[in-house]
Parts: sequence; C-alpha cells; structure tokens
Amino acid sequence: MLKVSVKWQKEVFPDVEIDTSLPPYVFKCQLFDLTGVPPERQKIMVKGGLLKDDADWKTVGIKQGQKLMMMGTADEIVKAPEKGPVFVEDLPEEEQAVAVGHSAGLFNLGNTCYMNSTVQCLHSVPELKSALLQYRPSGRRNDLDQTSHMLTVATRDLFSELDKTAKPVAPMQFWMSLRKKYPQFGQLHNGVFMQQDAEECWTQLLYTLSLSLRSPGANDNLDTIKALFGIELVSRMHCQESGEESSEAESVYSLKCHISQEVNHLHEGLKHGLKSELEKASPPLGRSAIYIKESRINGLPRYLTIQFVRFFWKRESNQKAKILRKVDYPLELDVYDFCSSDLQKKLEAPRQFLRDEEGKKLGLKVAEKNAAAPKDDDEKMADAEGSSNTNGESSVASSQDAEDTQLTGVYDLVAVLTHKGRSADSGHYVAWVKQEDGKWIEYDDDNPIPQREEDIVKLSGGGDWHMAYICMYKARVVRM
Amino acid sequence: MAPAPNSSGGNAPREEASLKVPVKDPKKKDEKKDEDLSEEDLALKQQLELYVERVQDPDPGLQKAALESMRHEIRTSTSSMTSVPKPLKFLRPHYGTLKAYYETMAESDLKRYLADILSVLALTMSAEGERESLKYRLLGSEGDIGSWGHEYVRNLAGEIAQEYSKRQSEEAPIDDLMELVQQIVAFHMKHNAEPEAVDLLMEVEDLDMLMEHVDSTNFKRTCLYLTSAARYLPGPDDVSVLDIAYMIYRKFEEYANALQIALFLDNMQYVKQVFTSCDDLLRKKQFCYILARHGITFELNEGMVSDDGDREALQEIINNSKLSEGYLTLARDIEVMEPKSPEDIYKAHLLDGRASASASVDSARQNLAATFVNAFVNAGFGQDKLMTVQSDSSSSGGSSANWLFKNKEHGKASAAASLGMILLWDVDSGLAQLDKYFHGTDMQVLAGALLGVGIVNCNIKNECDPALALLGDYVDREDASVRIGAIMGLGLAYAGAQNNEVRAKLSPILDGKASLDVVAFTAISLGLIYVGSCNEEVANSIIFALMDRSESELGEPLARLLPLGLGLLYLGKQDAVEATAEVSKTFNEKIRKHCDMTLLSCAYAGTGNVLKVQNLLGHCAQHLDKGETHQGPAVLGIAMVAMAEELGLEMAIRSLEHLLQYGEQNIRRAVPLALGLLCISNPKVNVMDTLSRLSHDTDSEVAMAAVISLGLIGGGTNNARIAGMLRNLSSYYYKDASLLFCVRIAQGLVHLGKGLLTLNPYHSERFLLSPTALAGIVTMLYACLDMKAIILQKYHYVLYFLVLAMQPRMLMTVDENLRPLSVPVRVGQAVDVVGQAGRPKTITGFQTHSTPVLLAAGDRAELATEKYIPLSPILEGFVILKENPEYTEDR
Repeated sequence: MLKVSVKWQKEVFPDVEIDTSLPPYVFKCQLFDLTGVPPERQKIMVKGGLLKDDADWKTVGIKQGQKLMMMGTADEIVKAPEKGPVFVEDLPEEEQAVAVGHSAGLFNLGNTCYMNSTVQCLHSVPELKSALLQYRPSGRRNDLDQTSHMLTVATRDLFSELDKTAKPVAPMQFWMSLRKKYPQFGQLHNGVFMQQDAEECWTQLLYTLSLSLRSPGANDNLDTIKALFGIELVSRMHCQESGEESSEAESVYSLKCHISQEVNHLHEGLKHGLKSELEKASPPLGRSAIYIKESRINGLPRYLTIQFVRFFWKRESNQKAKILRKVDYPLELDVYDFCSSDLQKKLEAPRQFLRDEEGKKLGLKVAEKNAAAPKDDDEKMADAEGSSNTNGESSVASSQDAEDTQLTGVYDLVAVLTHKGRSADSGHYVAWVKQEDGKWIEYDDDNPIPQREEDIVKLSGGGDWHMAYICMYKARVVRM
Repeated sequence: MAPAPNSSGGNAPREEASLKVPVKDPKKKDEKKDEDLSEEDLALKQQLELYVERVQDPDPGLQKAALESMRHEIRTSTSSMTSVPKPLKFLRPHYGTLKAYYETMAESDLKRYLADILSVLALTMSAEGERESLKYRLLGSEGDIGSWGHEYVRNLAGEIAQEYSKRQSEEAPIDDLMELVQQIVAFHMKHNAEPEAVDLLMEVEDLDMLMEHVDSTNFKRTCLYLTSAARYLPGPDDVSVLDIAYMIYRKFEEYANALQIALFLDNMQYVKQVFTSCDDLLRKKQFCYILARHGITFELNEGMVSDDGDREALQEIINNSKLSEGYLTLARDIEVMEPKSPEDIYKAHLLDGRASASASVDSARQNLAATFVNAFVNAGFGQDKLMTVQSDSSSSGGSSANWLFKNKEHGKASAAASLGMILLWDVDSGLAQLDKYFHGTDMQVLAGALLGVGIVNCNIKNECDPALALLGDYVDREDASVRIGAIMGLGLAYAGAQNNEVRAKLSPILDGKASLDVVAFTAISLGLIYVGSCNEEVANSIIFALMDRSESELGEPLARLLPLGLGLLYLGKQDAVEATAEVSKTFNEKIRKHCDMTLLSCAYAGTGNVLKVQNLLGHCAQHLDKGETHQGPAVLGIAMVAMAEELGLEMAIRSLEHLLQYGEQNIRRAVPLALGLLCISNPKVNVMDTLSRLSHDTDSEVAMAAVISLGLIGGGTNNARIAGMLRNLSSYYYKDASLLFCVRIAQGLVHLGKGLLTLNPYHSERFLLSPTALAGIVTMLYACLDMKAIILQKYHYVLYFLVLAMQPRMLMTVDENLRPLSVPVRVGQAVDVVGQAGRPKTITGFQTHSTPVLLAAGDRAELATEKYIPLSPILEGFVILKENPEYTEDR
C-alpha cells in the first residue's frame, strides 16, 4: 500500500491509498468516487506521460507521499452544432453583395468616371431599374433605331450586374454602346479617350431611355422616363417694350441652378434659372426685342434633377471653365415656391397632410417624454405609420398604386454627382448615392466608400474639393 | 584676461605689491609687455621669474627655497578649471629654461623636486603627443599626486593611456606606469570620480585593480558605470567589465545586483554562486522572483538552499506558479476584472455612419479576428464573454461551444486554443477547462486544445510536467493539424527549458517523412526549447531536415521557419554561431542567404553590435532581381541587434526610415515589423506616426505589417492615440477582409490583458533581455514577413507565439510571507544617473500611488516610505519588502 496525494484542479486529496497489486484502473475508480470524473476521462500525470489503465505500478515508479496531478472533468463533451453557421466567405457572389449592403463599383475604362458616376446615380432609382427589367432585349420596336436599342439593353444588363455582385464591374458593353450611339463620347486625345461632361452623358442617356422605354403604341403619357424625371414648366414670355405676352408649356428633365454673384443657395439659383432674358423677333415692333421669360413648375416628377450650371464656355482658354462658387443645397428641398398657382393649389392638401403627420410624430414624441409607459402601443403604431409614409417604402408603393400617393413638393436628396477639377473635360467625377438603409456611399469608380450624411452637404463647392454638379432629389409622397 | 582690479580692487594689495617690487625684483625690463596686467599679477609674475632664476642658483639652499615657493604658488592656484592658472601662465616662458637646467642638474632630491614642477608645467606646455607631464612625473619625487589638483591627475591619466598603448606595442615594461595608475585610481575613487578611474583601468586593461579601491561609498556608482559602459565595449572586454561589476557587488553583498549581472552574462555558475553565498532566505526568495521574471529554467539544489521545505517554496517561485495569483490581485486592485468583449474594443459606435453595419451573416475571418481579440484582451483573467461563459443547462454545450463553432475549420483550432490564453498561467483551472475539448471528434478542436495546454503552461513550470504528459502522445498522430498543435504546445510550454524528454519526442519528427508544415513547427519548437543553448544535436537535426527538403519545398514560405529554428538556438550567443553559419553556406541556394541572415541576426540579437547592423544594412542596400527573400530577415535583424540600447535603437529607427525611402518592396514590407520590434510595448510618437503613414500604403502587405506593428508598439498600453488610429483604419479598410483582420488583431494587442501586460522582452529597467520572450516575438514577426501565406492562411495560430513575451507590467510589493502588501510608491520617468556624483534623483515627474501599480515603458518606481526596505534594487514585478528596523513613526 502506498499513500499519495492527488491534485485535481484546485483541490488536493491527501492520503489516497494505492493498492499496487491491482491495476491502475482500480485507482482511477477510487478517484472517480472522490472527484466524479469517470475513469476513462481521467488523465493522471506520472513520470514519462499519462498513467495507463493497465500499466504496471512497478514500472510507473510511484513513491510514498508523491504528489500526483490529475486532469479531467465531468463536463459535457463539446459537440459541434448540427447546423454550422453560414459564413460570408462561403456565400455565392450575389449574396455577398447583399451582405455588404451596397452595390458594386464600376471600373474606370480610361477617363470614364463621368459615365460611371452617371450610371451609379441613375442606378439608385428603383423605378428605372424595374422599367428596364421589363424591356425585352429581343423585341425591338420598329420606330427605335438599333443603337438606341443596344444602349438600352446594355444599361439593363449593367444595372442587373451591379446588383448581383460585390466586386467591381467593368462596364465594357455599356461603354461600347454609348460610344456607338453618341460618337462624341469616343473622342480621342493623344490616343486616349477624353474626359467628357457628365451632364451631357446624363442627358443623352435619359433621352435614349425615354425613347426606348416608351410603352409600345401608346402616347406620350406613358413615357416612363418622363413620369419619373420629367418636369412640366409653363413659361410666360413678356416683352417690356411692346407689352406683348405669351405663354408656352414645355417639359424638361432637369432644373438649372444658375450661379451668379448673388447666388449662395440652391433656392436662389433655381429662382435665377427659372427667369431668363432672351432676344427674339417681336412681330409688333418688327425687330428683335428683349423678352423676359418666367417659368413656373406645373408638374412635378418623382425624381427631381437639378443641374448646377457650373461650366461656361470660356473663349480665351477654349474650354469649359468652372465656377467654383459655393452654393449650398439642402438635404430636404421644398419647391413649392417655384410652382405655378394651379399646382400650388393641388399641393395644398397633401402638404397639409404631410405637416400633420410630422406634427403628430413630433407631438407624440413630446407626449412620450411626459407620460411614459401607457402610451406605448399608440406610439408604435404612429411610428410605423410615420415611417411608411415618409420613408423609402413609399417609392415601392408608388410604382404599384401611383393613384393613391400624392406629391407634396417636398424632396429628399438621394444622389449627388460631383466634379473635382477646373474644367468639365478634365478633373474627376464621383457619384454619392444614398442607399436604401439611409447610408451614403461614395462611388469613386471601382471603389465604394461609405460616407456620413453631414459630409454630403459639404460638397457645395468653394474650393478644390469635390463639388456638386448634378443633384437628384426624390419626392416625398403621402398616401391620403 | 586678467581682471582689472584698479577700479575697485582696494588699495591694500596695491600698496603691498608696490612695497615688494623694489625689494624682490631688481629687474624691470619688460615692463611694457606687462602693461595690461594688474599690479597683483605683475607682482606674481615677477616673483615667479625670481624663483626661476634662483632655481638655477648654485646654492642648494636657495634652490630648495625657490622650488618650495614655486610649488606653493602652483598648488594654491590649480583649483581653477576654466582658465589656465596664473602661475602656470607666467611660468610658460620659462618652461624651456627650466627643462634645460634640469638636464644639467646632478641627481638629487632637488632634481626630483624640479621634475615634479616640470611635470605640472607640462600640463599646459608640453606639445601634443610628447607626454612630458608623464615623463617628468616618472622622474619626479612620487609625492602625493592629488596635491597638484584634479586637472593634473586627469591629464596624467590621459597620457598614461597613450603611453600604455605605445609600450604595449613595443612590449616595453609597464611597472612604473602601473604604480602611477594605482595612485591615480585611488585618488579618483576617493574623489567621486569613479568613471575616470574605470576609464583609466580599462585603458590599461587592469580592471582587477578596482577591487582594492572600491568601498561602501563608491561601489554603487562604480558598478553602475561599469554595467552601462559594458554596452558600448567590444567583446570580450564587455564580459570582463561585467565580471568585475559582479565581483564588486558580491563583495559588498549586493546579491540582487550581482544576480542581475549574472543573468545578463547568462552565466549559470554565477547564479549558483549568488545563491550559495547569500544566506538570507528572504533575499533568496527575491532572487527567485528575478529568475522567474527572466523566464529561465533553474533547479535549486541542496547546496543553494539546505532546507527541503524552503527549497520547495523557492522552487515554486522560480516556477512562476504564483504568477496568475499575483496578476489577478493586480487586476482586482485596478478593478478590471470585468470581461471585455471584442465589441468593447472595436468601439464601432464611435465611427458614426461608416461601415458599422453589423452584417447579418457571420464572417469567418471576422469571427476569427474576434477570437484573437477576445483571447488577447482577456488574457490571464480566467473569464471572458465568448469562451468561458457558463454553459446553460438548457442549451447543450453552452455558448462557449457556440462561439467555438462560429469559427470555420482551422479557425476552430485558434478558438479552442484561445481558452488557454484566457486562462494563461493558471494551470489547474486551465487544464480542467480545456479537458472538454479533448474528447470530441473534431480534429481542429483537438489541435486547438493541445495548443491551449501549451499556452496555459507558458512560462510556468510544474513538477508534474502536465504539458509533456498530455501532449506527448499526440505528437505522432496522423492528422497534421493535431501534430502541429501538440508540437507548438510543447514549444510554448517548455521554451528555454532544454528538456531532453521533449527533445526525444520532437527530434525524430525532423528525420521522418512529415509534411513541411509539421517539420517547420517542430524546428521552431526545438529552437524555443533550446533557445540560446547552442545545442549541437538539435542544430544538427534541423540542419539535416533543411538539407532533406526538396527545392520546391524550400521555396515555400513555411520553409523559412526552419532556419529560424536554427537561429533561435544561438540567440544572442554571438560567435558561437560561426560553425553553423559555415554549414549553412552549403545549403540550397534558395534558402542559403535567408539562412545566413537569420543566423546572423539571431546570434547578435540584443547585443547592439554596430558592425553587425552595418553588415545587415549593407545587405539591404542591394537591389535584387531574382526574388530572393533574405532581405526581410536582414531588416528584422537590424532591429533585433539594435534593440539592445536606447542610442542604437534611435539610430536604427533613422536607418529604417532610409530603407523605407530607398528600399525595394520586399524591404519596405519588413520595415514596419522592424519598427514594431524596436518599440514593442513602447509607443514612441515618431514611430507611431511613421507606422500610421505606412498603414495607408498602397502596397497592402506594407499596410498590413504597419497595422500589426501599430498593435505591437501599443501592446498592452491601452494607448488612446493608437486605439483611435486603429479604429479609423477599421472603417477605412472595412471592405478589405485581410487588412481588417490585421486591424482587429492590432486592436486586440493594444488592449492586451486590458492594458496590464507588456510584450517587451527587456525587463529590470531595460537591462535584462528574456531570451524566450524575444524568441516568441521574433517567431511571430518572421511569420508576418509573409502575412498572406501564413497568418492569413490557416496558420494564424502563430500569433500565439506572442504569449512567450507576455508579462504583467506591474510592481507588486509583498511582505515577508509573500502576501501582497500595499505601500506608497513614487512612479515617474526614469532618469539616467550614470556617472553622476552624489545621490541624484532617479525619477522625474513622479506621482505617488499605492502598490500594486502599473509601470509604463521607461517608468521607474521608488518607495515613498522609509518603513520598508525593498530586497530588490529594481522595483519591478514582485518585490519583497522587509520592515526597516531603524524606522520610527513620526509623532
């Protein structure tokens, strides 16, 4: 008989007897009684390794009073869960894109940042995406030329590709179609493609799409692009000299923000842009005279595009020079002031509704502070209501049942196309696009970079940093 | 210029002078020249001229009187240091005459007197290199040397050094010189000029003489000067200087200091001597704490400690078995026991808007990063929020298992091993908690558990050898990952132990047909276990393993760990590497240069050898075109060699800056790592800025290395600036999974042990270098040289090599029963007091805390109470306090 002390975790069992005539398994059973660790899970450290169940005590060489160390627990054995977690790394590319939370960037194919940023901005319009998806690549209408068709198909393919992957896309096909349709974009300078004006690209692309996405056989009213981007203007022409007056209606795809010495804010610029002087032949006077043209908005689009007229043709330097003036623009734009009285009347009711909604929300928040718990339920309901009415979901709804929703004249900023550099044909274009989750992403060619909302309004110019060139606002609608 | 006393000098001296002049000096020829002299000076001048004349007088009596007076004049005025004393100045024109007259004199006492005076005059007169001062001194009366003033002695010492080297080359006798040296040294040692004495003795290569002259008042300064001078001496002088310091300390029974030097010399014989010559048990306990911090394996025997019980208690201290306890006491005192989750470290909420989107899908890479962050941050605390959470009885396996299985494939190995890190140093609970992973069927989990056992036992020795018992059987398993887990575990657990049983297990793997990764990890483990031992058998096995590899295998990044294993054997052993370095020249050319650089940098690691740094820089200056890989180790080598002392370190940082600008890409990739090593756990602002700049480098590997290095320099400091930088990097690189992984790891390192740990292999006021700690860091850095192939692949667990360098950066004071004792201490920036006379302040800008306290890099602590006497001269780690018998409470 030997007596040893056994150390197990922080406990020490002194004077454990070993009957050296019996195999170590018996000793382990003794320890099982003391510790509750089953013999097969006991690990007892002896000289030269672990004590084996069938070892010979003599060869192990245990001495009287020796300290042994035992390791082992009665803990449950760790088992792998039946269904392991799914890792991003294992997902196919399409799903990775979802996980990343924004769509992919576009490779620069050689001075094509103007095109990339335009595409990224337009890509953020879900209605345009769905309209494109309905476009049949095979069935070209007779009134549409081949190149326009090709460009539309290329746009459609590019948009869906952007949604599929998290990796940057090379817009090769689109670039070729665009050049084919509009050869001016294929201009070469010293053997490389030249930088182009993004606004031109934007306009031309929308024009092509407006041709191709027209519902077959229908009239102008079903023009998707027009419904999304078209702004109805009524203009009153007034000649001071002759006192004659005329009015005309037109439809444009963007409002211009003219920049002059007095303009510090988008609002002023727009006002400036809607009022212009022009010289034309005046029939009563029999000569040309100065006419004043004042325009008002008569129909609002879902997506209001505003172009900052930053570039002007500078004869001396023979290039489109840039006005660097800082022009602030808001995240939330109200165009009520620019609307015609007819439209203003129409807008009254939805605007009131919107104000009420917001007031309710604010009011509730005040109430929440005063009285806490009991109102919980109301609050949630109101919140849910509020969000569905004001936030992004409305756009989805609007495309389905446009009848129910009403424009309010209030717009939220969703995309900014900026330019950095001193002339339109040089420098760098970048798109800053608001995602569905409210985050902003700066699409610098193939490199999407997350940005903060407060940094977006800082792109207003006044330096050599990126400054807004085209802003896209999305209408805030209410469901009455 | 002489002062003009005419204006206010008073009348008395002037009158006196005017009285004397006509009497004592009949000749007034050169009055014009002396016009600008004051009357006093004039008088002195004339007087001296008179003496000179009289010295040449045939009457011995007059001669003697003149010499005596001259001597008197000189002695009373040699105290000035800033200008040539006047008597000497006035005697200058007569130096030639006196010299000529001296030659004509017959041998006599008077002649020797004159020689004395000539010797002093030579102080200012003798031409450069003539050493006339010494010459006349030797011819002189050999009187008290100090009576002529410090300046004279200093000058003489300088001439002796020159004369000595001349005579050495001519093999002329030096006995007369040595006699003079004796006098000078005695003078210096008595007059607070220990550095001068030491310098002179080093010049004449007779440091042993110091032993006769040190006494209780000056030995501390002497030894301090010796030890700090040793860093700048070429071998073997440095060793002999330290030997003397060791001897002096022992003579004055400053055993703790003697032990420090013994450890610096890595001389186990000296360590034993310290134990045998000291007979105070309490002090021996303190020695054990010092040994434990240094991380060497040391067995006490009966000669050192006679009582069995005492010996066991002391051995327990050396074995570090109380480290965990002390660390937890510190943590409780500072109130950081609460476990932290990786999210607490990432602090994503501070990054508004940007990329804080918590992805709905788990990313294996990011979960793995979280595993490491969790392990590093909660290292040693025994609790965390991922791995040790109490398993709910309702859910099978608990959340611990859940987190484990949130890691993918090889990630599970690191996750299981992280449990070892969390329970670091706590062998009992650690093994118990790891036990549950031993019984599963998942090979990766088992591999992790084996590695975890190694981590838990790192720096801890246990007489039961649980690590060997548990891991031994798994070394020969089929599954490569299980084998690597066991092998690496053994390497960590027995680093520096030179354990033959472990070697018997590991060596055969090198000869066998194992895959490259298994062989590589075996080589590293053997290198760690036999670090700095120069063990030939191990060296040979690794060399043969290297020779056995096929050419394609040698091209693999992992193959580069084999030379490192070899290098570790010679860590800091300088010349001892030469034989092996010769052998390495026969290797396949793919690995030859790499091996050469590795061996060189390992052998001279921590020596501060400037020539080796130059050699390595030379290798970096070459522009390669064949894709050779040896420049990476060369760059790391610069850091390894130069990290020894502050001055060389600063120079190395500047040299690395140059490499960054002119070097090729493979060099640029290694530079951040070298910077990380130089400033490990010591966030210098300039290095931080450089690394921050590099972390945005266009070359992603440079950026990755810089990010990891930011973690290393901030290791365990909680440095807010680095934390902020890393946080911004995490949003900057949110898309780049690899870089984000590195950023996460770095974040974990900065908050290592919630800021209680350090990675610095230097300790004891940057004097001692723990070889195992350095080996661990270097291994990890070598792996980082090819981040993409190793850490970002399935060998991420090489990060755990850092555990070897992890130590609490604390000062824990304990009483005579080794129980924590809280006393007030002043903690401040250390001040260099080498060569300063008196008792200068050793710290500046201090604050008073009560122990236990944390010490930052460059901090030094001193007791703020007289009530206790510390048993260690350096207040770091565990320090035993003895009650001061002379202390009386005020009031």
